[in-house]
Amino acid sequence: MSRKRKVLSVKNLDFSYNQNKVLDNISFSVEEGSFISILGPNGSGKSTLVNLISKVLRGYEGKIEVGGRDIKELNPKDIAKMVAVVPQYTNPGFSFTVAEMVMMGRHPYISRFGMEGKEDFDAVSGAMEKTKILPFANRKFTELSGGEKQRVIMTQALAQDSSILLLDEPTSHLDINFQIEFMNLFLSLNKKENKTIIGIFHDVNLAIQNSKKIMLLKEGRIFNFGSGEDIINRESIKSVFGSDVFIGRNPVTKKLYVSPVFNPGDDQGISSQKANKYLRVHIIGGGGAASPVMNLLHSSGYTVSCGVINTLDTDIDTAQMLGIPYVAEAPFSPISFISQNKNIEFIKSSDVVILPAVEFGSGNFSNLVSVKEAISSGEKVIVIDEKNIRERDHTGGKAEKLYRRIIEDGAIVVKSINQVLRCL
Amino acid sequence: MGTGRKTIKHTIILLIILIALIIVAASIGAAKVNLKDTSLIIASFIPGVNHFINTARLDPRDIVIISQIRLPRIFLSIFVGIALASAGVIFQGLFRNPMADPFVIGVSAGAAFGATIGLVFITGVGLLGISTTTIFALLGALVTTFLVYSISSARGKVSVTTLLLSGIALSAMLSAMTSFIMIFRGHDLAKIIFWIMGGLTAASWYKFNIIAPMVVVLIIISGFYMRDLNIISLGDERAAQLGVQTDRVKKILLIMASLIAALAVSISGIIGFVGLITPHILRLIVGPDHKILYPTSAVAGGIVLLMSDTLARTILMPREIPVGIITSIVGVPFFLYLLVKSKKQVF
Repeated sequence: MSRKRKVLSVKNLDFSYNQNKVLDNISFSVEEGSFISILGPNGSGKSTLVNLISKVLRGYEGKIEVGGRDIKELNPKDIAKMVAVVPQYTNPGFSFTVAEMVMMGRHPYISRFGMEGKEDFDAVSGAMEKTKILPFANRKFTELSGGEKQRVIMTQALAQDSSILLLDEPTSHLDINFQIEFMNLFLSLNKKENKTIIGIFHDVNLAIQNSKKIMLLKEGRIFNFGSGEDIINRESIKSVFGSDVFIGRNPVTKKLYVSPVFNPGDDQGISSQKANKYLRVHIIGGGGAASPVMNLLHSSGYTVSCGVINTLDTDIDTAQMLGIPYVAEAPFSPISFISQNKNIEFIKSSDVVILPAVEFGSGNFSNLVSVKEAISSGEKVIVIDEKNIRERDHTGGKAEKLYRRIIEDGAIVVKSINQVLRCL
Repeated sequence: MGTGRKTIKHTIILLIILIALIIVAASIGAAKVNLKDTSLIIASFIPGVNHFINTARLDPRDIVIISQIRLPRIFLSIFVGIALASAGVIFQGLFRNPMADPFVIGVSAGAAFGATIGLVFITGVGLLGISTTTIFALLGALVTTFLVYSISSARGKVSVTTLLLSGIALSAMLSAMTSFIMIFRGHDLAKIIFWIMGGLTAASWYKFNIIAPMVVVLIIISGFYMRDLNIISLGDERAAQLGVQTDRVKKILLIMASLIAALAVSISGIIGFVGLITPHILRLIVGPDHKILYPTSAVAGGIVLLMSDTLARTILMPREIPVGIITSIVGVPFFLYLLVKSKKQVF
């Protein structure tokens, strides 16, 4: 089979606004039937790129070809036949009916001296059927709800009968039900009608879940362009958006899933002001009890390590996602002598040891022994006593006894994770 | 129902109303002529129909009064009304605002100032039969339109507040300058005042023959841009996405509407609010689609001004009041009503 036709090609695109470079040397091409998402923070040039491709903005350097033709040689009507834009919102100055609004999408096909023909009415009703707005064809646009209005604008774009749909955050201020409904519509247009879809999406996950390729824009440059699997990771998101995220997988679709790392310390101003970046903190792991503490301290800027944890423990996932060094033990095995020693090394090289509300059994009892050693050698220990030790002790009282000794020896006891930062 | 058929239906209804009004307006005045005679006299001037009409039993004095005094005035007022309402539709569409009209945005004052200069300083020189007053009125209107537009638009968006304020400010300045000229050219005072106060009194077929064709041509040219105007009311960016050459179309329509308004002003002086009220009422009846709104508003504008002018010349018979007074007395409360109502909407 021959290679797919290129419907859009952008070469060395530069655009400046008031002497500020908005787009810097953008080059990419899009094959027919692709579904591409453009992601990037506000001001990264996403909307500008859409406006340049649809020839709403002019005065760029470089070359933009739509359907193999340079858009500089095409008039606005020709472009509107090939590229339809769905904007964030539209606010008409007058209260047109829904049918009148959709008919405006046929403008590229109607000559100045002509009238709407049969094919125009057919295209309008066909588009309205696809978006299920036929029942309110005669209602006033201004009287519709936000989601309905956006459906009408979507239909207006469909009436243009273009091969490319450019979406400029079409669902960013709609409720989740509309976001899903629109995404399903985009997907079906993409699959059934082979429409090329290039979209700016407000919601990163919406984009990753559904598009074949993703373009990351940062400060007017293409940071990366490829499949989500290849280019979406903690580092790329951090570097493009400047935010810390976890990358997981959607358990159903197995696609990548980005979720933000929230920092409970932030609202108290502790992390940004008081955090001592050089303070090394070692956290005793196990059963996921260490995860929230790791997240909190890591995002607050401390140098964090963790141990000893079993390889199947959720604490391992957290440590891996956050890039925290840890001591691991094979699954379902008691902590070995080697692991324990490694853990003690970590403890010795750190300034504070934190003991979260871990469940203790014979397998991880040695973790408690290591903490006891730490406090005996004068190291600072914080115990998070969120849950009564008696309920967490599965060693027949051995762990409880040692735990109480640690507290007696001068460990700082806090009742919840939120109090930890104050004790550091 | 297709747009075309709907347009034709509404326009025909309005034309019938207009014709009826023409007959009524022609029959009333200082000399009373009954409706039947008036109809016969008017019909006797229609080519093709006149063969069937016997004017012998009609009073020749009535024929002269109607054909040489009342009809020129009636038709001139209709065309001024058509011009003002058409310009109003275009301005409202361009500025995406139902409160724009040639008077409110200062185009009328610009035309009046231009006309005053033409009237006072340059006399006798004309171009193709068009008087200097008209030419200067056109220039004054164009300059004012572009000033108001560039002051109130930023990055392709027109701020309504700045639009109204700059219109008011420029109107005030232009009126002051007109007054200034009036003081220094005392001997032209009567001429200027007579003209500014809304003179349809000096109507003649000669005036009509010069103005009417220009108004018709400009209105027809603009008419081909009504689909674009519909889409432009979605905003410049959206219009461009739908294939409208936004900048070009806006400039063309802005120039057309200013010229149309200026022609009206050059005949009759400043007559406010016809261009504001008419499109607004018609929008309630036929909807916002400019393809229908534009032709129907034009005819309705003719009706409104004919009614106002007939009132103006008969209400205090034998004295006449300037028609601008009538339109303002009706128009200003309406404008204020719109202003209060618009506070509830987001522009």
